[in-house]
Amino acid sequence: MPDHNNLPVKLKGVGDSLWVTVDDSLPVDELKNALHKPFERLKQLAVNARIILDSGNNPVDGKLIEELGGYLKEQFHVGVVTGPPQKPKPEVRNKRTEELGSAWHSHQSEALIIAGRVRSGQKLQADKHLIIMGDLNPGAEAIAGGDIIVLGSLMGTAIAGQPDNEGAIIMALDFRPTQVQIGGLAAAGSAGFGGSGKTPEFAMIENNKIVVMDYAAANPFKRFAWPEVR
Amino acid sequence: MDGKVVVVTSGKGGVGKTTVTSSLGAALALQGKRVAVVDMDIGLRNLDVIMGLENRIVFNVVDVVQGRCKLKQAMIKDRRINNLYLIPASQSDEKNVIQPENMKWLCNRLKKEFDFTLLDCPAGIEQGFKNSIEAADEAIVVCMPEISSVRDADRVIGLLYSRSITPKLVVNRIIPKMVEKGDMLSHKDVVEVLSIDLIGLVEMDESVVVSSNTGLPIVMQKESKAGRAFMQIAMRMNGHPDLPVEDPMAPKSFWKKLGGKISRKNKVH
Ligand SMILES: Nc1ncnc2c1ncn2[C@@H]1O[C@H](COP(=O)(O)OP(=O)(O)OP(=O)(O)O)[C@@H](O)[C@H]1O
Ligand SMILES: [Mg+2]
Repeated sequence: MPDHNNLPVKLKGVGDSLWVTVDDSLPVDELKNALHKPFERLKQLAVNARIILDSGNNPVDGKLIEELGGYLKEQFHVGVVTGPPQKPKPEVRNKRTEELGSAWHSHQSEALIIAGRVRSGQKLQADKHLIIMGDLNPGAEAIAGGDIIVLGSLMGTAIAGQPDNEGAIIMALDFRPTQVQIGGLAAAGSAGFGGSGKTPEFAMIENNKIVVMDYAAANPFKRFAWPEVR
Repeated sequence: MDGKVVVVTSGKGGVGKTTVTSSLGAALALQGKRVAVVDMDIGLRNLDVIMGLENRIVFNVVDVVQGRCKLKQAMIKDRRINNLYLIPASQSDEKNVIQPENMKWLCNRLKKEFDFTLLDCPAGIEQGFKNSIEAADEAIVVCMPEISSVRDADRVIGLLYSRSITPKLVVNRIIPKMVEKGDMLSHKDVVEVLSIDLIGLVEMDESVVVSSNTGLPIVMQKESKAGRAFMQIAMRMNGHPDLPVEDPMAPKSFWKKLGGKISRKNKVH
């Protein structure tokens, strides 16, 4: 027997998004109809709005998100449509609470942090991450098991993710390497003098190719749900 | 009183070590210092020719360290400039006949007699280079505004630092017209990468070639820009470290070049 206290759809503003609760026992077309009126009323407010679709089931059926999301995008030009954020399992929650409490305090850093200028013919090697506060000159080499981060000009050769960590990145405030390697892939840079005059950039592997992107624009880690030890 | 031993080095060949050594030797002597210049390029001696003293060589540096002659016998007095002496290299010996200990011994003796001992280092970073830096208190790195020269200078600077010698930089053979057009690195680009103290900027100058043929030191040629630059470097070495370095690009078009010659890709494959 249908619960008459339950409307087929409910809308609620949550933070910068619109939380839409739907009764997924109803057919999709009926839900679309039910969505039409409230969204019509929102008009401009709906445009580009971030929509969270919630059916009470966690996780929400992907098909349903696709159907209703598609409809809302087409009719009302809403922005991203997703299901509700997944609640982490209790053990994950506990771990996170612990991390914020104290666990990170005792974490042993595996990053090698070097300050200065690495010159032609010099070679730096780190088991895991390598951070250079300074410049890596043409003819110098930095090799790391993990990431390489240069807080200065990267002009030499940077070899990250050795031997086979294709998730490693190479980042520099001034990114103009002679060559970069990540895992088993290599890419040639262009030798240039004078600063790039641009913003910080980083290299990573995408579709089996090394690509270089603007770090601030791509912000590769912003979607992490939780600060992680790298 | 102990003088200073200064090695003139570059890594790359042909960038002007011998020119710098002979010119600074002449300049320092003209400024009243007692100066010895030593040709460390065993097997490829040059300094004697540049100074116009090749026909007076009887003994050389190898003879001295091997005890075949006294130090005095191998010192050739310059024809024009008082207090300037050359100790020539041997043309026939192998590079390895001199070892670092020999050079230390020799330079310790020269220091007693001369205010400045300048060592004209061979190209490369092998035995001759090692011998030269072993005995040196200070170093001048000569670099041309050219990528491969910068690369080698950088390598040499790293090796000097590893021996606790803090080098000073001379950028030689600058062609202002080319820098202006963006066809040559500017000395700013060079200094940015090498990041050591700049002690002089020397232009490409015909009088250098003239001088190597006539034997008249560049620093004695009144009209020579390079000559004037060398006189000023000598003054900086000789009690006037703060004498400003003249910029051959100034004032005409120095700023125009900034942001010039940069080519880069957004994606590298
Ligand atoms: N400022 C200058 N202007 C014009 N010509 C120059 C200048 N400096 C050097 N040269 C010329 O460049 C050539 C190489 O110079 P030099 O012999 O001093 O170099 P080097 O570093 O001693 O070479 P090597 O490594 O073979 O010993 C010479 O022909 C010299 O005349
Ligand atoms: Mg020479």
